Amino acid sequence: MPVEVDNSSTVSGEASVSSTGNQNPPPKSTVKKKRNLPGMPDPDAEVIALSPTTLLATNRFVCEICNKGFQRDQNLQLHRRGHNLPWKLRQRSSKEVKKKVYVCPEPTCVHHDPSRALGDLTGIKKHFCRKHGEKKWKCDKCSKKYAVQSDWKAHSKICGTREYKCDCGTVFSRRDSFITHRAFCDALAVESAKTQTNPSSEPDPKVQAADSLPPPASPPVSAPSAVTSSDMPIQSSGKAHNLRILYLVSFVLAEDPSIVVEKAPAPALAPAPAPPPPSLNGSCSTSASLISSGCSSNSGVFSSLFTSSTVSASIRPPQPLAPAPPSAGLNGSCSGSISLVSSGASNSSSSGVFASLFASSTVSASIQPPQPPALTNLIRADLAPSTSIEPISLCLSTSHGSSIFGTAGQKHRQHAPSLQPAMSATALLQKAAQMGAAASNASLLRGLGIVSSSAPQENLQWGQAQVDPDNASIAAGVGLALPCDGSSGLKELMMGTPVFGPKQTTLDFLGLGVAAGGNPNAGLSALIPSIGGGFDAATAAASFRGGDYTDKDIGRSS
Amino acid sequence: MTKSQLPHIDKPLAGYPHMPPKSNPKHEIITKAELSKFSIFPNCTIIWCVAGRGGLSLYSPKLCGSFPNNKIHQARPWPGFPTSKGLASFGDANCMEQLLVHCANAIESNDATLAQQILWVLNNIAPPDGDSNQRLTSAFLRALIVRAAKSGSCKMLAAMANAHRNLSVETHTFSVIELANFVDLTPWHRFGFTTANAAILEAVEGYSVIHIVDLSSTYCMQIPTLIDAIANRFEGPPLVKLTVPGVPKDVPPLLDLTYEELGSKLVNFARSRNVMLEFRAVPSTHADGFASLIDQLRLQHLVYAEAGEALVINCHMMLHYIPEETSSPLPNTNSNPYTFQPTSNPSLRTMFLKALRGLNPTIAILVDEDADLTSNNLVCRLRSAFNYLWIPYDTVDTFLPIGSKQRQWYEANIRWKVENVIAHEGLQRVERVESKSRWVQRMRNAEFRGVSFGDEMVSEVKTMLDEHAAGWGLKKEDDDLVLTWKGHNVVFATAWVPG
Repeated sequence: MPVEVDNSSTVSGEASVSSTGNQNPPPKSTVKKKRNLPGMPDPDAEVIALSPTTLLATNRFVCEICNKGFQRDQNLQLHRRGHNLPWKLRQRSSKEVKKKVYVCPEPTCVHHDPSRALGDLTGIKKHFCRKHGEKKWKCDKCSKKYAVQSDWKAHSKICGTREYKCDCGTVFSRRDSFITHRAFCDALAVESAKTQTNPSSEPDPKVQAADSLPPPASPPVSAPSAVTSSDMPIQSSGKAHNLRILYLVSFVLAEDPSIVVEKAPAPALAPAPAPPPPSLNGSCSTSASLISSGCSSNSGVFSSLFTSSTVSASIRPPQPLAPAPPSAGLNGSCSGSISLVSSGASNSSSSGVFASLFASSTVSASIQPPQPPALTNLIRADLAPSTSIEPISLCLSTSHGSSIFGTAGQKHRQHAPSLQPAMSATALLQKAAQMGAAASNASLLRGLGIVSSSAPQENLQWGQAQVDPDNASIAAGVGLALPCDGSSGLKELMMGTPVFGPKQTTLDFLGLGVAAGGNPNAGLSALIPSIGGGFDAATAAASFRGGDYTDKDIGRSS
Repeated sequence: MTKSQLPHIDKPLAGYPHMPPKSNPKHEIITKAELSKFSIFPNCTIIWCVAGRGGLSLYSPKLCGSFPNNKIHQARPWPGFPTSKGLASFGDANCMEQLLVHCANAIESNDATLAQQILWVLNNIAPPDGDSNQRLTSAFLRALIVRAAKSGSCKMLAAMANAHRNLSVETHTFSVIELANFVDLTPWHRFGFTTANAAILEAVEGYSVIHIVDLSSTYCMQIPTLIDAIANRFEGPPLVKLTVPGVPKDVPPLLDLTYEELGSKLVNFARSRNVMLEFRAVPSTHADGFASLIDQLRLQHLVYAEAGEALVINCHMMLHYIPEETSSPLPNTNSNPYTFQPTSNPSLRTMFLKALRGLNPTIAILVDEDADLTSNNLVCRLRSAFNYLWIPYDTVDTFLPIGSKQRQWYEANIRWKVENVIAHEGLQRVERVESKSRWVQRMRNAEFRGVSFGDEMVSEVKTMLDEHAAGWGLKKEDDDLVLTWKGHNVVFATAWVPG
């Protein structure tokens, strides 16, 4: 307080002043130690009781000429000089001004008692507003309300920093809301499946951490953070230098921007030698999130999976230079539904696999090795089973490397015409699944299951695992479900990333996927109930987890 | 139709409410009407001012015959209708309520002309996309038309209703995540969740096995927070058995999951909290007072009551679906669990509560809407519903923007409720909400004793309410808690133990 003003004498009849001689205050030392300890007034202080009106009056001292109000009498006196009215400024007396304490006007309040009076006028004002006043300041973000403007301002600064985030990307400001959502969100189901699939690793601490609720003060659990925790095995195996690590980019699109929170690519995800700089240019009407990426040193798997009504993308393949981080770019312009890119990239000379699957008006998936570009069209049953070295292609149509491994300038990638245009995406996937299951060669696409959910919206879940013919290591899978439901925009997202490798590599890029333990056979069984056939430890398996297409969706996309 | 047949207009008064027809034909009850304005004469007669010849052309020629032109000149006294002085507030809620009441009376007394006139006025003063009172009135208006169409007493209305298939309320089928979000928007359900969970938590302290029977209209949306709280309790997590009635899904909110899927999600969630959860859905229906559920619980009770298992009955806005009329003799008496029933042929509701009491629950929570929509008299029900269901319309502005999908779902659910109260009778009319005092009486008659909500619970609820709009409040009445909106009772929460 800059000016010490003696208000007590000018306080109107609403205020009463009483002597405090007979108070029985606590020891003085306490008072000095804790300035703000409420209700420990100086025994010698003057106790002032103001009525609520007086207390809350902002301008109690009013000029009788112009009705201008002032908070302090001294200011009014200065103002009166302008009207040529008699005025009087109180000189600060050399004597020590008597200490004043204030009681709360609310009779039921503990601070109504003079022994619990508060030491300053502002303090009692705020107390009265907070405890007995109307909360008229409302936070726009979380709708918390405050009676004191400064409290509201302070809250507004930190609002949103304490939040709960589900792995599906939805953010909550309230714990209750988060818990309820969490219980029913598919993200939890995926995580639990992961835990179950991995019985050897008891209660997986990672899962626990991701699943347990953060205290309000701690940073929110987010998909990227889960990724961070799960990429540790990548790093360790990356040192083995023998490992194929995955490059995974996933796009999360949702119709409702308020639900899905845009997240920058997780910077913490730095797997293996060097993190590839993923570049993502999505011109989408919705929000997108880029989840994770990885690279390795042996051979490359670059797969992309798009599902959208219109998707145009250009993907730059990893640089062939050995330790240099591969970069991947995705320029997606999606008109609506979903787009997902999962890519595993490596830089060795052995082989590169590039797979892309477009499910929409045109569905195509191809995994193309740069050298011997043997393409297998799974639709043609006779070609389906192949040797373990032979890469796999699941497609309606395949395109050559030149068109896929386009340069950055290639913005629009034409969908190759379907061989069987009449075949719907669902039928295609089912067929592929049958073939995958039927194939005796374990190196092939193992299974493709269509997991149907009862949601009638466009809702896709894709899981994919890549096979490494060299037996060196990893397969990657990406599952993604997207809410394209125009009516809701609230659909949860779900992603699963099953990864298998003899090296016990566990990749869980999204923190929601399935982790495979030392036993590859543990497999995806929990995740992919519809897939028949086990997993061969010697080879990796690829599987697609399919979402459901409703008739409507098929009709729209085909 | 010649001009002479048109209603005669003496002299339209200037300055009276002038409502051109809405441009949105979808919501028009009288779509092609070129009704330019209507006027209310001070002598309380309603006169149609029809512009041109098209005014009545909306009716098919066949129907025109039933339009009694000779009556239009007669002064119809409208008791309670505002006088010319009060016409400035023509669009206010009181007037709309009056109009609805008159319309209901007209429909009930088979006065097609009057009903039609009032409907016309209502349609013009209460567009379905107007302010909250107008939307409320519009919902009642639709419900009245549906009723008139159903009863067939008003052929013209029936024809109109049939011509407008959009009158039927289309309620949204939620995904479970949508529903979780939806329920979370307002304290309407959260109030009950918070109070019930707090009371349950306190009641089951020390029990190592807790059997929760969740009679809730919100598909277990309350359970995750309860599990979470139980998991964190001091003495460690118990075994939780959760039983829900697998009711036929015909009452909004509708969910696109089966109970099995819902249960597996909950079990999964509980596992993540280190709580063992057993989920069971017992197919049963409110129509027979959850007879099969009660049967099952009785069996369970015989087995487990001695084993020190806590039994929690959580009734969240579900019991008002049980018919409250005196039950007719059931065709199959063997399936009736209420065999002990004596004397006076009590209602299913009473029998259900007695059966609950017979289970000797550790605690029973009863949360429901505080209104009285059970009257057999349509007008009583209409008034009562009108004076309660304005609240959801009034609150919605505070949490859902106009035009949002969720708002459409939300309002469709209210319209469904209005229609159920107004247009339906018999077992079809499930929205038989009773007031708190009535429920308290019922519980006491069933030999339950009310228990009070502690101060901690009260402050917990207050904290929850602070997260919502300023209009929400909390009232403590005796042992019970009441959620209020702008001082009006909305939902009550009561806790009971065997007396």
